[in-house]
Amino acid sequence: MEALRVDSLSKDFGGVHALSSVSFSVGTGQRLVVIGPNGAGKTTLFNVINGQLSPTSGRVFFFEQDITNMPTHQRAHLGQARSFQIVSLFLNLTVLDNALIALHGTKPSRFQMFWPMNGYRNLMDEARKNLDAAMLWEKRDEIVKNLSHGEQRRLEIALSLAQNPKLLLLDEPSSGLTRDESSEVIGLIKNLGSKITVLIVDHDMNLVFGVADRIIVLHYGQVIADGTPEVIRDDPRVREIYMGMEECIDHVGVG
Amino acid sequence: MAARGSPLQDLITRFLPWIGAGVVLGILPALLPSYMQSIWTKFLIFAIFATSFDLIYGHAGLLSLGHAAFFGAGGYAVGVLMLHTGITSFWVGLPLGILVAVAIAVLFGFISLRVSGMYFLLVTFALAQLLYSVAWNWLWINSPGMQGIAGIPLPDLGIPSLEWNTIYFYYFVLIFFCICFYLVYRIMNSPFGYALRGIRESEIRMQALGYNTWLYKFIIFVVTGAFAGLAGVLFAYFNRLISPVYLGVGTSFLPMCMVIIGGSGTRIGPVIGAMVIIFVEYFSSLFTPERWPLILGGAFVVAIMYARGGIVIYLSRFWKQIGYRHGSIEG
Repeated sequence: MEALRVDSLSKDFGGVHALSSVSFSVGTGQRLVVIGPNGAGKTTLFNVINGQLSPTSGRVFFFEQDITNMPTHQRAHLGQARSFQIVSLFLNLTVLDNALIALHGTKPSRFQMFWPMNGYRNLMDEARKNLDAAMLWEKRDEIVKNLSHGEQRRLEIALSLAQNPKLLLLDEPSSGLTRDESSEVIGLIKNLGSKITVLIVDHDMNLVFGVADRIIVLHYGQVIADGTPEVIRDDPRVREIYMGMEECIDHVGVG
Repeated sequence: MAARGSPLQDLITRFLPWIGAGVVLGILPALLPSYMQSIWTKFLIFAIFATSFDLIYGHAGLLSLGHAAFFGAGGYAVGVLMLHTGITSFWVGLPLGILVAVAIAVLFGFISLRVSGMYFLLVTFALAQLLYSVAWNWLWINSPGMQGIAGIPLPDLGIPSLEWNTIYFYYFVLIFFCICFYLVYRIMNSPFGYALRGIRESEIRMQALGYNTWLYKFIIFVVTGAFAGLAGVLFAYFNRLISPVYLGVGTSFLPMCMVIIGGSGTRIGPVIGAMVIIFVEYFSSLFTPERWPLILGGAFVVAIMYARGGIVIYLSRFWKQIGYRHGSIEG
């Protein structure tokens, strides 16, 4: 079944065509990685899929439902979750508060104004599971701005997972991480169940080839290659664009 | 870190500040001369006003420069009611004042929450000034021959034998202060309160998590309008006079000062801030009344430059040090 389908999606910023006529679909449970040089339109694509931007033309379908003009928060209720390229956490709150806010987000209790947030026993259990998976439960009382960059990245992912999403959009989950931290993130992504469809934008070739079932290459807002990691590795156009990255691609095993 | 020590000591460090506050607010004013009781009453009214401002500024991160619109509207509702119908019953005045403030907050919220940041500040400022000029020019809501409504009597509670005096009125205001303080405390710790702080920290993330952030900002704008309206109602009874000044930017500036000086986003910061401003205003009025704006402005600048977190930060540090010294808090 199709989790997501984008249909000739275009987005112009003034005269700049950030996306031009991008079409693809993602099956349920697939791990699709979008790569491309800086400015290729990857983050714009995410913003259109998640509703931070509306497209100039084209449509977005989520499990057959047209969501092109739906606001972001409603997409979250349908089962979309995303992490951000620039860390977007609640920096002055504790790790546990961050997780609890994320858990309340798709529940009716989010509008409740009288009883304390941490009094919901079942959500507290969920928060514990959620933070355990990201190896952050021990740090639950830390203020988020005091965490290391790697821990903040893991919390980014943990917050998106707290929504129990059907589609997870990860925007550069490994940016700014050391090799070790990056492999922790890869481990986290690999452990996601097969019910979750994952769309990832990243530059780290270890991560790209480590988790991808399929890779889409964006260049100047257009899809120039779409296929399995093996196909993408050998695609001459991709090699041409990624001249600097050629060696990287050669040096990582397909896994 | 975890509090160890004996349970009794633990109880003392946790509750002593509250007991102290209870004694100061509940008993001390009764021992003071009546003109000082008035100052304490004014302080509590402004503490409600500042607390309401902190909900929207300290928690939701929205800097409004039109908060007096709701305060003045509550006051004007009571005044106009008295002026045109002669009704002085508190049980009519209070709901009417809050209702008018809420209605204005709904209208202003729809307009001002379309923009954010500096533009939000400017739009709220402009809307409140609009209301100020309406109050200045619309004769129907002014006592004959003046700008404003004079001679507002103390509220009629419907208790036959009750004779108001300053200390009764003080306790009357204290009840409302306690209710507001408690409600704000509950809101702060609820999922809704955390959502507000989430919006302050990262609105885009809140949307991605499923929160309709516009609706949250709108609701809190209206809720703070209701609290400010209540403060305005009490102030009209207290002051016996309501005038366009209480809708204008000078009055909007006061809760902002109080919250920043006291400490924004904290429970007692706005209360401490209100206390400092109202008492300093009183003492400056004794010695050099014409220099009060200078003192207020100076205090504001000093607070912004040297005490960003507000007085509360220093108080809580001081209190923790006492805790260390007595070994009841460790680590």
